Amino acid sequence: MDGGGAAELREAHRLTGHSDRVWSLAWNPFTGSGAGPVLASCGGDKAVRIWKRSPDGAWHCSDVLEDTHNRTVRSCAWSPDGKLLATASFDSTTAIWEYSGGDFECVATLEGHENEVKSVSWSSSGSLLATCSRDKTVWIWEMQPGNEYECVAVLQGHTQDVKMVQWHPFLDVLVSVSYDNSIKVWADDGDDEWHCVQTLTEADNCGHSSTVWALSFNKKGDRMVTCSDDRTLKIWDTSADLSQPKTGDDHESWRHLSTLTGYHGRTIFSAHLSSEDIIASGAGDDTICLFTEVEGPSYRLILKKEKAHDMDINCVRWCPQDPRMLASASDDGTVKLWELRGNALD
Amino acid sequence: MDQKPQDDIDFLEPSVLLDETHYQEGFKNGYNDGLVSGKEEGRQVGLKNGFQVGEELGFYQGCVDVWMSVICIDHNAFSARIRKNIEQLAALVRSYPLYDPEDEQIQDIMEKIRLKFRVITANLGAKLEYEGRPASSKHDVEDL
Repeated sequence: MDGGGAAELREAHRLTGHSDRVWSLAWNPFTGSGAGPVLASCGGDKAVRIWKRSPDGAWHCSDVLEDTHNRTVRSCAWSPDGKLLATASFDSTTAIWEYSGGDFECVATLEGHENEVKSVSWSSSGSLLATCSRDKTVWIWEMQPGNEYECVAVLQGHTQDVKMVQWHPFLDVLVSVSYDNSIKVWADDGDDEWHCVQTLTEADNCGHSSTVWALSFNKKGDRMVTCSDDRTLKIWDTSADLSQPKTGDDHESWRHLSTLTGYHGRTIFSAHLSSEDIIASGAGDDTICLFTEVEGPSYRLILKKEKAHDMDINCVRWCPQDPRMLASASDDGTVKLWELRGNALD
Repeated sequence: MDQKPQDDIDFLEPSVLLDETHYQEGFKNGYNDGLVSGKEEGRQVGLKNGFQVGEELGFYQGCVDVWMSVICIDHNAFSARIRKNIEQLAALVRSYPLYDPEDEQIQDIMEKIRLKFRVITANLGAKLEYEGRPASSKHDVEDL
């Protein structure tokens, strides 16, 4: 890691290949010792691309997963053991790909949503999968032996399109965000009965005043960042364990900690927390911002990278194997890999 | 007509009363007509609504009956979770207050029934849907 100098975000690689906007990215969380990081990207060209680093340091596209979805692939997510890739599509299905022997094979298709699936997320245990859709519902699936998936629950509650779902890093607690401006937290009572245990709104919790596009947890699970069409990022204290059924009045909730305003001039589409708790945000103003937590807790801008892409940035993701490497995906059809150098955490 | 001065008020009164009388008579006629046509309209709406509810519930009950028969023949035809869901659906359909259309919960129960049905059909991989009801997708416009 560089010792000195001001923080800068250096463009290290530009990955081209998608023939339409790139919607989402996912780093394989577990690639085994010796192997380099693996990145999946998906987009409007109905394909998923897998990117790997060659021995000479350059990145290449090692696989193209196509001919399965017949509409835009909107989101992708690796299972915790890195062996499965889930891809969520506007064709209302979610495909599960098995990655074994260097080859990808579609081993299951989850059907049930009435229209476009927007997001997919694996729980930390690897046995639960969540999907959400424009049909306003969130579905929870459980993996069974033999690549079978059983629908555990269909969660209704949002009054509009659900944009993203994400599991807590280690609890069986699910968060969904929506066009209805709210953030909902879901947990089960231990018997497949899933309920919304908390809703974070503008009125009651200093929540967002417009569509919430994305959320991200930190590794410890006590911080969550959300971003919105209202051009703010909000950080939440999520230390309360909402997976346990509440007894009486003595229940904690998640609460608002901080709102970051004025850094982006357009809708913020994506936010991601690194393992060093650095927040990256990508927006419709083609800009990437990085923030770090300081005493308070409050947040300080580390840097603002304008014109990071030529068009809207749809997704930003920190590399789990290298916490100073950031990937970004854009409407311009490219994926960029960035290196954060300098004294970012001072 | 010859009127004495102190009958001035009386002279005017029939005209005022006439207005009032006409009003009352008109109201009564309207009310009576409305009662008859309202009842008939209400009957038509009730029949239509009742039919729709009955048809939809009947569809779910029919599915439950078929699935329960399958379970009777082969207890392990479905997984434990699916069996539980089918039993929950059966209980929900039974709990629908057919004879109390004013019950506040009817909408809620119907939503729960539809949701439980979706979970079961998704798990059975069956493309089965109650045709009479419009799905949400037909009304909305696509966005990002």
